[in-house]
Amino acid sequence: MGELSSGIGGAGEPPARAGTPGGGATRAGRAVSVMDGPWHPAAMARSAVTWTSALYLAVSFASGLTWFVVLVAGLSVSLATLIIWVGFPLLALMMVAWRFGARLERRLVRTAFGVAIPDPYRPRPQSRNPFARLKAMAADPATWKDLVYLGLLFPLTLVEFVVSAFTWALTGTLLFMPLIVLFGGGMEINLGRVTYWSGNPFEALPVSAVGLVVLAAALYVTRGMAIAHAAWARLMLGANASQAENRELRERTAHLRASRARGVDAAEFERRRIERDLHDGAQQRLLAVAMDIGRARAKLDEDPEGARALIEQAHAGTKEAITELRDLARGIYPAILTDRGLDPALSGLAGRAPVPVEVDVDLPERPPAAVESIAYFIVAEALANIAKYARATRASVRVAREDRWVVVEVIDNGVGGAVARAGGGLSGLADRAATIDGTLIVDSPPGGPTIVRADLPCTW
Amino acid sequence: MRVVIAEDSVLLREGLVRLLADAAIETVATVGDGPGLPGVVEEHEPDLAIVDVRMPPSFTDEGLRAALAVRERRPGTPILVLSQYVEERYATDLIGGGAEGVGYLLKERVSDVAEFIDAVRRIAAGGTVIDPEVIGQLLGRRRADDPLEALTPREREVLGLMAQGRSNGAIAEGLVVTEGAVEKHISNIFAKLDLQPAQGGHRRVMAVLAYLGRADA
Repeated sequence: MGELSSGIGGAGEPPARAGTPGGGATRAGRAVSVMDGPWHPAAMARSAVTWTSALYLAVSFASGLTWFVVLVAGLSVSLATLIIWVGFPLLALMMVAWRFGARLERRLVRTAFGVAIPDPYRPRPQSRNPFARLKAMAADPATWKDLVYLGLLFPLTLVEFVVSAFTWALTGTLLFMPLIVLFGGGMEINLGRVTYWSGNPFEALPVSAVGLVVLAAALYVTRGMAIAHAAWARLMLGANASQAENRELRERTAHLRASRARGVDAAEFERRRIERDLHDGAQQRLLAVAMDIGRARAKLDEDPEGARALIEQAHAGTKEAITELRDLARGIYPAILTDRGLDPALSGLAGRAPVPVEVDVDLPERPPAAVESIAYFIVAEALANIAKYARATRASVRVAREDRWVVVEVIDNGVGGAVARAGGGLSGLADRAATIDGTLIVDSPPGGPTIVRADLPCTW
Repeated sequence: MRVVIAEDSVLLREGLVRLLADAAIETVATVGDGPGLPGVVEEHEPDLAIVDVRMPPSFTDEGLRAALAVRERRPGTPILVLSQYVEERYATDLIGGGAEGVGYLLKERVSDVAEFIDAVRRIAAGGTVIDPEVIGQLLGRRRADDPLEALTPREREVLGLMAQGRSNGAIAEGLVVTEGAVEKHISNIFAKLDLQPAQGGHRRVMAVLAYLGRADA
């Protein structure tokens, strides 16, 4: 097949189908998040996310402090200098800086806790004017939530640091007591009310056992703090419900706008093709016929035999023109599709194909006209490609309803190796399919087989 | 011979009337839509009704439905259906109620006057004439475990011509072989497709078309 591309989609991503799991960090093969990992101490100790969390909780105090200093100093300086205008550029600089800080925090939170927080920002304005961009930034509530998060990061991480330091220091000391005794000599150990003297590493082993219990507690403390921090980050750095909804709507609008534009392009392209076919085909033939008849009329008296030959030529020409017009009209819209639906229309297509084509249409009812028409033309284009390029000896067409989708599949046993060509017939059809939120996929490894599959949404 | 014509395009209707008149065939009535046809046929009892598929009011398969209605009310009325496109589904619908006196041709076949008049006479006499394009479509179709696969290319050609209602002599002439060779091919075809051997033009066509159209049953 010549002009196919592998994986021509609507607007890149196929629309989510019912039952598809939503995004999130818990998909198979991805790191577990602190939110929903296992709760058994041994499993927690083995999980990498526990240790990245512990590390974050222990050291993020540094970034909390840094941001606190930067924000307090930067904001007070810029507010104080607002009166002499210098404050405005400073304030803008601060805003850009804390947005950057928030982005960094989102990445850290994802790495440390396995909790993905998508950027909640509104899309950038189209304008290239930096003032317009700053204005949009300042008007975005997400910017101010970022500020709150970074401002409160210091007290939060301070608490986290203190708790982490105490917990892990205690755990470490108890666990490694035999080593401490080995290298540091005998030691008096005070465990609450129990006090005893351990003179050698073996006497310190029971302390390690206590340490194991404390380790379990430390794991839970770490986990708890991680969950709290991640939840807080999600609240402040992530999108709230209505922002998320807005974002989804924006993406959907962009998708629709793009697919509509491509649909219009595809329709325009079709009209140009029809015009060209009419002009190069039937119109030229009829012109030739008119000339033949004109010459025949002139010759009628002195050369009746010559006139007869010309009339025969004209007759043949009109028949060719009729055939061309018929094929063209069928290419624009096949009458049988309106009259009888997909099964007979596709059977007719299959019958006209040069290779044997098996047709299997299994639909409980007739789908909407747009779906029928797109399905028909996808099959027509696929069969035309098979005839032209695939060197196949047989092909099959399957149309079936799966859930709320009409699935169209054309398979051939040809040479495969479809190569992408923009503006080709099938990519135009992918665009047409996209106008109704359908997708078209071409799978054609070198050596075949080639599978063209369209999923067309359809409610009826 | 007397015919009625159902055709909405005045140009084509008048052309048909003149073309038939040249061959001494009288057009007793014309209608411009589908629903009017059965009444006209009952009134005039013609030897043949010539019907266009696409007509008012629906501009879909109006003529075909009218033709079926006529066949239902007056079984055996010879009917020739003309269509801008031929579709095997229309053909199988049409011969579903018996293939005697049924014709289904592309509209443009009208321009080969002699052949067209010959087809008109054969249909009026109870014969069957199906456009070669339909036969091509029916032969082009494939189903799983298709017995047509067992046919040799030559047998396939013979089957196609047979389905068009050609006699053994005409088939032999078309393929430039002897009539004896054609008979041998035909008996092979009937054996491979498990059909009852049949004599006479339209019975043979019916058998073949019934076989080919079975996919739709």
